[in-house]
Amino acid sequence: MPVSLTPNAIAAINAGDVNLKPLLQVLDIKVIGRSQETPRSQDRYRLLISDGASAQHAMLAVQLNDRVTSRQVDKGSIVQLVDYICSDVKGRKLIVVLNMETIIPHSETIGNPAMSTESDTEGQKLLSAPGNIPPPNRVVFNEPAIQHSVNRAPQRGVNIQNPVDSTPSFRPSVQPSYQPPLSYRNHGPIMKNEAPARIIPIAALNPYQGRWAIKARVTAKGEIRRYNNARGDGKVFSFDLLDSDGGEIRVTCFNAVVDRFYDVTEVGKVYLISKGSLKPAQKNFNHLKNEWEIFLESTSTVELCPDEDGSIPRQQFSFRPISDIENVENNSILDVIGVVTSVNPSVPILRKNGMETHRRILNLKDESGKAVEVTLWGDFCNRDGRQLEEMVDSAFYPVLAVKAGKVSDFSGKSVGTISSTQLFINPDFPEAHKLRNWFDHGGKETASLSISRDALPGGGSRNEIRKSVSQIKEEGLGRSDKPDWVTVKATISFIKTDSFCYTACPLMIGDKQCNKKVTQSGTNRWVCDRCNQESEECDYRYLLQVQIQDHTGLTWVTAFQESGEEIMGCPAKQLYTLKHELQNDEEFAEIVRNRLFHQYMLKLKIKEESYGDEQRVKMTVVKVDKVNYTSESKYLLDLLVRT
Amino acid sequence: MDTSSPSAFVNGAFMRRYIGQKVRTVVQVIGSDVGSVVGKSTDDVQIVVRGSPPTPLTTYLEVIGIAESEKTIRAETLTNFGNSFDPANFNELCKLANGEFKHLFI
Repeated sequence: MPVSLTPNAIAAINAGDVNLKPLLQVLDIKVIGRSQETPRSQDRYRLLISDGASAQHAMLAVQLNDRVTSRQVDKGSIVQLVDYICSDVKGRKLIVVLNMETIIPHSETIGNPAMSTESDTEGQKLLSAPGNIPPPNRVVFNEPAIQHSVNRAPQRGVNIQNPVDSTPSFRPSVQPSYQPPLSYRNHGPIMKNEAPARIIPIAALNPYQGRWAIKARVTAKGEIRRYNNARGDGKVFSFDLLDSDGGEIRVTCFNAVVDRFYDVTEVGKVYLISKGSLKPAQKNFNHLKNEWEIFLESTSTVELCPDEDGSIPRQQFSFRPISDIENVENNSILDVIGVVTSVNPSVPILRKNGMETHRRILNLKDESGKAVEVTLWGDFCNRDGRQLEEMVDSAFYPVLAVKAGKVSDFSGKSVGTISSTQLFINPDFPEAHKLRNWFDHGGKETASLSISRDALPGGGSRNEIRKSVSQIKEEGLGRSDKPDWVTVKATISFIKTDSFCYTACPLMIGDKQCNKKVTQSGTNRWVCDRCNQESEECDYRYLLQVQIQDHTGLTWVTAFQESGEEIMGCPAKQLYTLKHELQNDEEFAEIVRNRLFHQYMLKLKIKEESYGDEQRVKMTVVKVDKVNYTSESKYLLDLLVRT
Repeated sequence: MDTSSPSAFVNGAFMRRYIGQKVRTVVQVIGSDVGSVVGKSTDDVQIVVRGSPPTPLTTYLEVIGIAESEKTIRAETLTNFGNSFDPANFNELCKLANGEFKHLFI
């Protein structure tokens, strides 16, 4: 036993010693004084404390109730009484614990404590319902209930046979009769504890429980985002929590609730959070290992715990070696740690929605012998990116931990930041120190193979899914919920030319061209149903039906504007003019003929769609690349060697 | 396809197996003279090719001819193979054509 209890402490306390600060063991905890009339916040807990030789009951001051509800103090805990009093109540000694510390959360019963003579059944009855001594008949009334519980779970009689059990005062029969039947928990019956909003581990949260509270640290906090959807404008923000059991969960607030809690929450601080609804996690935004997320409501409470709770880690990482990332699916969220070997300058990037952002690429390597590109977006570029750049420029290669980076297979595999990503430069973790040690002792000199960008040039990434034409049908691609994206190496064997393009709306919607089909409404008047406007000109965009063929079979695919232009080698308008205005069928046919029998790497999007009753697998060419013979040879060689 | 005079795919190392026979290889040109070219095989062996090279020479040259020794080929056909040929792929091809997939080659 690593800890010994303070000998004779019970006797000393009963004799009036309040400066002993003894180490004692909690043998049992009981809720007393609970009734329908009293609010649960007025629960009182009675401990049975032991010094190894004798045991006595002690009341817990109400302000310490959370120690029990949070199970910091539990049956078997070794505690040090810091502040306590012992008073005489009707000839009985009564210990009241005002402050204590948990030394060991759980321990076997130490020694063979016997009930102290200072405390007995009668005394406990007085304590158990302060100011409300139960009439004797109630005790009698309670008997059948106890009997009942024992019958239902006979083996529990064995479970509760600890040394304390033999003492008369411990019998449940002294409990006030209004205690609910004590039968259905797999603990000793006296452990039944339904204190209000008791603190539970995050991992135990589910939508079916009524009231709960969690104690957790905010590990990440998002910005307030404003949105606009069919139901109007709104704002939202969320933060991530981690508790001492390693459970994590995201908390999301909308609109007015945002105002209540945005300023309250601070990354790194510990909070008690209660009342909120649990909803399934939005996995596309939320990468935490929890199938739920908490939505706070106006009645929710988020209280700062001023005392630092060291049992809750500041962050939880599950670092993946860079070599692992190679085989991780696109868009996975993961943690990675490595040494920054180079940092590129920050460059402005125009996003699809027309907003400008910044991007900065850096290289990270680790002990797995692989290196990966990390793409910093937006604020990360300037804030962390600049710091990293300065360090690398001065030939100091910092360790960088990326929490919640998103894997991209844009070119090879790389890791990019998302809004909930956190970066830690030269963090103080064991993993970081190990890495630093590796880097400084040889790792710096070892060549690392990058899993980014060494993708086959021109041939797309090496993570592309290569299929043959017959496999598309054989494997039933496109039949699942999501489209399949595959690459085929195939030759164009036929191009449908009776209709190869459509008249598209040239008007701009925001920063994008409308591109919906327009209909002619007179000479040089084109009407767009979507824009509800006429324009004098229209755009010609490819809508090309093409037959492709490889050594396994042939199939029809559709190519839109960009891929169509790649296949035809000229803009749709040029071909349209040639065919329909100049009516030069010969030259038109010659151009089309010249485009046949070229082999390409075609990236296809395959999705089954229904047209009326009919299910049709639709294949769209999303990218056309010339075959790169070097990389294709490599690919084939690799295939040969592997089989 | 003319199968009357097959030529074996070789790199530097496989030359010795085909002395006196017809071989086919690709070398990276190191230097050339009238009537001969010095090249580096895809597995880094220096090979002397006797024969009249095309002018101008590109970086890579295909050589079809009789292996006179481990490191000499009397060329029958010399063809420019451009500047962006991938020697590693060719080297792997030679290994497969003389190894696991020998039965597929004449």
